[in-house]
Amino acid sequence: MTIAAHFDIEYLQYLGPDGKLVADLPKGFDPKSLLPLFKQMLFVRVFDTKSIALQRTGKLGTYAACLGHEATHVGIGSSMRPEDVFAPSYREYGAQFMRGVQPREVLMYWGGDERGNDFQIPRNDYPWCVPISTQCLMAAGAALAFKLRKEPRIAVACCGDGGSSKTDFYAAVNSAGAYKLPLVLCVINNGWAISVPRSAQTGAETLAQKGIAGGLHCLQVDGNDLIAVLEAMRRAGERARNGEGGSVIEFMTYRLHDHTTADDARRYRGEDEVKAGWTREPMLRLRTFLTAKKLWDEAQEKAWLEECGKLVDVEINAYLESKVQPVEAMFDYLYADPPPDLLAQRAAAIALEKRNG
Amino acid sequence: MAEKTAANAAPAAITLIEAITQALAYEMRNDKSVVVLGEDVGVNGGVFRATAGLSATFGPERVLDTPLDETTIAGLTVGMASQGMKPVAEAQFDGFMYPMVDFIVCHAARMRYRTRGRLSCPMVLRVPWGGGIRAPEHHSEANESIFTNVPGLRVVMPSSPARAYGMLLAAIREPDPVIFFEPKRIYRQYKEVVADDGEALPLDVCYVLRDGSDLTLVTWGAQVKETLEAADALAKEGISAEVIDVATLKPLDFATIAESVSKTGRCVIVHEAAKTAGFGAEIAARLAEESMYDLVAPVERVTGYDTHIPLFRLEMKFLPSVDKIVAAAKRAVAHS
Amino acid sequence: MANKKFLLPDLGEGLPDATIVEWFVKVGDTVRLDDNLVSMETAKAVVEVPSPVSGKVLKLAGGPGDVIVTGTMLAEFEIDPSMPQRAEGQDTGHHHGGAAAHETHGGAGTDAPSDNGHQVIASDEGGTISDAGTPAPKGEAGEKRDDAGTVVGAMQSSDAVRSEAAVAVGGVKAMPAVRALSRKLGVDIARVRATGPDGVVTMDDVKRAAADGSAKPGAAPASRAVTQQVQDTPAANAQRTPMSATGRPMRTQPPSVQASGQPEQLKGVRRNMARVMADAHAKVVPTTLVDDADLHAWIGKQDITARLIRSIVAACKAVPALNAWFDGDKLVRTMHPHVDIGIAVDTDDGLFVPALRNADMLDANGVRGAIQRLRAQVEDRSIPASELSGYTISLSNFGMFAGRYATPVVVPPTVAIIGAGKLMHDVVAVMGGIEVHRRMPISLTFDHRAATGGEAARFLKALLDDLARPN
Repeated sequence: MTIAAHFDIEYLQYLGPDGKLVADLPKGFDPKSLLPLFKQMLFVRVFDTKSIALQRTGKLGTYAACLGHEATHVGIGSSMRPEDVFAPSYREYGAQFMRGVQPREVLMYWGGDERGNDFQIPRNDYPWCVPISTQCLMAAGAALAFKLRKEPRIAVACCGDGGSSKTDFYAAVNSAGAYKLPLVLCVINNGWAISVPRSAQTGAETLAQKGIAGGLHCLQVDGNDLIAVLEAMRRAGERARNGEGGSVIEFMTYRLHDHTTADDARRYRGEDEVKAGWTREPMLRLRTFLTAKKLWDEAQEKAWLEECGKLVDVEINAYLESKVQPVEAMFDYLYADPPPDLLAQRAAAIALEKRNG
Repeated sequence: MAEKTAANAAPAAITLIEAITQALAYEMRNDKSVVVLGEDVGVNGGVFRATAGLSATFGPERVLDTPLDETTIAGLTVGMASQGMKPVAEAQFDGFMYPMVDFIVCHAARMRYRTRGRLSCPMVLRVPWGGGIRAPEHHSEANESIFTNVPGLRVVMPSSPARAYGMLLAAIREPDPVIFFEPKRIYRQYKEVVADDGEALPLDVCYVLRDGSDLTLVTWGAQVKETLEAADALAKEGISAEVIDVATLKPLDFATIAESVSKTGRCVIVHEAAKTAGFGAEIAARLAEESMYDLVAPVERVTGYDTHIPLFRLEMKFLPSVDKIVAAAKRAVAHS
Repeated sequence: MANKKFLLPDLGEGLPDATIVEWFVKVGDTVRLDDNLVSMETAKAVVEVPSPVSGKVLKLAGGPGDVIVTGTMLAEFEIDPSMPQRAEGQDTGHHHGGAAAHETHGGAGTDAPSDNGHQVIASDEGGTISDAGTPAPKGEAGEKRDDAGTVVGAMQSSDAVRSEAAVAVGGVKAMPAVRALSRKLGVDIARVRATGPDGVVTMDDVKRAAADGSAKPGAAPASRAVTQQVQDTPAANAQRTPMSATGRPMRTQPPSVQASGQPEQLKGVRRNMARVMADAHAKVVPTTLVDDADLHAWIGKQDITARLIRSIVAACKAVPALNAWFDGDKLVRTMHPHVDIGIAVDTDDGLFVPALRNADMLDANGVRGAIQRLRAQVEDRSIPASELSGYTISLSNFGMFAGRYATPVVVPPTVAIIGAGKLMHDVVAVMGGIEVHRRMPISLTFDHRAATGGEAARFLKALLDDLARPN
């Protein structure tokens, strides 16, 4: 028998759920580098918790929590360079904070204000993307621009396990391979697409191997192991910058909260499964590891959490105190050069607003 | 004898979304070729609970949870329909329909036409539609006029539980593709007694909801609510407004609108979608063509602005409101 | 030392209330912003509600097991300004619950769960959606409630029950769906025999009419089960008397009490007549000549209308200037080679003027047949709109009832109208003697913009001469 092609999907894991190493650290990896990232993960969790509370007290609209995804998100974001471009779905706040997006911008977005999308710092990053996985194909387009202009920049896109079923995802995989694009597709497999389990999405054994179909480098990773996340992103980033083409990385994690604050996951998944998810969560194992290395302790955590609370509250207050945009904001930003009909409607809307006081 | 509700119970008062479920259940009981498919429609019963209980009753081979891909849903639906099944697909939100346009326009709308009747496409695409629920981006689109311009489709939008029930039954029984828009803002607005008797309503008529003599208010979808409230407000000022729910946009029952306008002489069209080339433009053109001699005032349109529906802080300023409708009505009535 | 009342927010998009499971604080405790305050159970989940302020707990709205309605007070605090607080911010409106829905129309869904907005709608002027006012069953705390599922956003939700009232359009009461069906089946709903309560036409009534063909558009009207439209009030029932018991003249009843005497918006034919006549009055310069046609020489019984038609044709041939159309704006006159006579037909609904086409080509039988056909078509309303216009001259035969001479209205674009008055037996002087002759008064009104007095007089003479002929 002649084999036309075959493939293997490598799985990366260094830090087990109990906080102990299950493999040798990658070459040259310094555990101290985990500390600031761990603190960042804690910050994200504090922000996430407070955002849910905001929604529950009627101060925020529907919100997509990122509970349990902190290692994946922070690891992805911290592995990128400022000149790279990030294309999130709508959950990766940890990655975005590493890129310079501010918590108040996240809150403005879920708070119903387009200014949240107007990132002050990562000016070229894509805003949150609701049409699933279209961000993957857009990122492929960005990568193509970088390649054509011979810029040493890469594009990184995130989608979910559900997102990997989407035509746009397959199109991104295919074009990344056809053009050998500097693209990293991060499939964040948290087990659920609202109520549909991962098993119902595809017949493929792994989601990572969908990249094989496009000729991309593929890797599966324990997404709750920050070390594995960083190593996977390092390899993919290096390949992309060296002109070796795109990658698909599947991050295995678990969605510890509901799909959004309006969803109720108890309708379709059992309590036991969620409990099991908590035993594998990223914070627990990293805390254990760092504490064992004497790099972290309870007192530091308490102080840091209080600091995080204060920082997040500053952001929350900035959001709560923001004024609603004037009515003409509906019309501005539609065109660089607004046509007369639109300007007439704009004027009418302003006049109506004045009359209504 | 068609199988009616198992318990033969007295008809219950139900919401519009429950009427959808009731219609789906009725038709699935009585026609084995009907299947439901979409994201989260099975175990979860749909993100709006439109398909609640159907999976438990009919099983996973008649209520299919699809992978997360609208192209997949549209393509599989057209494939099944063209081979003799009656799929009722769900697009989770209006803003997610766009990948489906390829299959709807290139295949569903053309199947019968291209094959000279040999193949056909008896599918229904159900879509939670429209704004006003303070949702995130892309969840509030009023995009009906994309589809009303496509030959070969029927475009339908009920505004009450009874009409939702009767028109969905009709849509499923219709041998050609139907885009079934469900105004999500009024999914649970109120309850109405709707007998589960399998009686379909016609899919080519407008519904006169209120008699009037001074002007005709024409609308559809969730704006039926505001339009009726506007009619109440006008009545307090001695202006008698007739209210027509178009319900089936395509094919349009213009005769009902024409008859009303021949009586009142004035027409105000209300729709959420942006003004330019919205479906109100079609009605206004027909009025100019066929009712010119009945009109004593210019036709008015009360619509969304020609911009994207903003996020929810500004959403209500975008949508038509009772005040905007009343103002337009008064402008019309000033002409005689 | 400000106090803050904390109202229960909507905990899951559209939930009307929630049940207290467990308080994490008690009255008098100091609580910090975002500390867990209470766990509440909804239909969807058990949810921890955080404290919105830092301060002292003054009041708690209930104990474990109590149901709190969304939007009502859950707890009250005394704010401690020295502790971290949250900016007020605006409510995003993501809590609403069924109870707080502002429904001005029909008044559904008011604040108290026990009142689902009973609203009686008077339907004399047409239906509106009325609330059947069926209250939702109470005492369901802890039982399964309606799950207001949505994965995004905030949706108004209400348990109020409504039913659409039968809409009275054109005097016929029917539900919108029934009306729509009648259109679909080609049934004239005004002719359907109504068997529903209060004279409402039901779905079955329409289907029956479609099946037995009893209500085709244009068929004779069906007898109605209910004819009484007048509202029953004590005043309407009482006998009218001109004098009161004390001998004073009685005031007439106010208009609102009875069906007639009410202002009525003109519709259809009458509305059209008002518009057309006003338009004619604004444009035409009418001048009227009157005279009498002497029918003394007539032999035998003859059809008067047929003779009238013939005489008009003869006059048109003699003086074509009065068988013309005149455009006052463009100052264009079109004289016609044919004679189409618009014949005024009076009905209860108003004035119809169907056109008797090609009157110049018809003999007496032809005229008679045409007129019969026109009358029948007007009576059953099957006459097409195209036959109600385009005539070249008009005839109004009001003399069937009363009146000798008139100044009938010339309707543009025609320029002349003949009015035929009541046939009389007049005493006439004849060659120094006196005779009684049967005569028909004839009035001719013409538009003096388009025709001269001389033309009119010559026209009238030709008409009278023809009418006077023996046959």
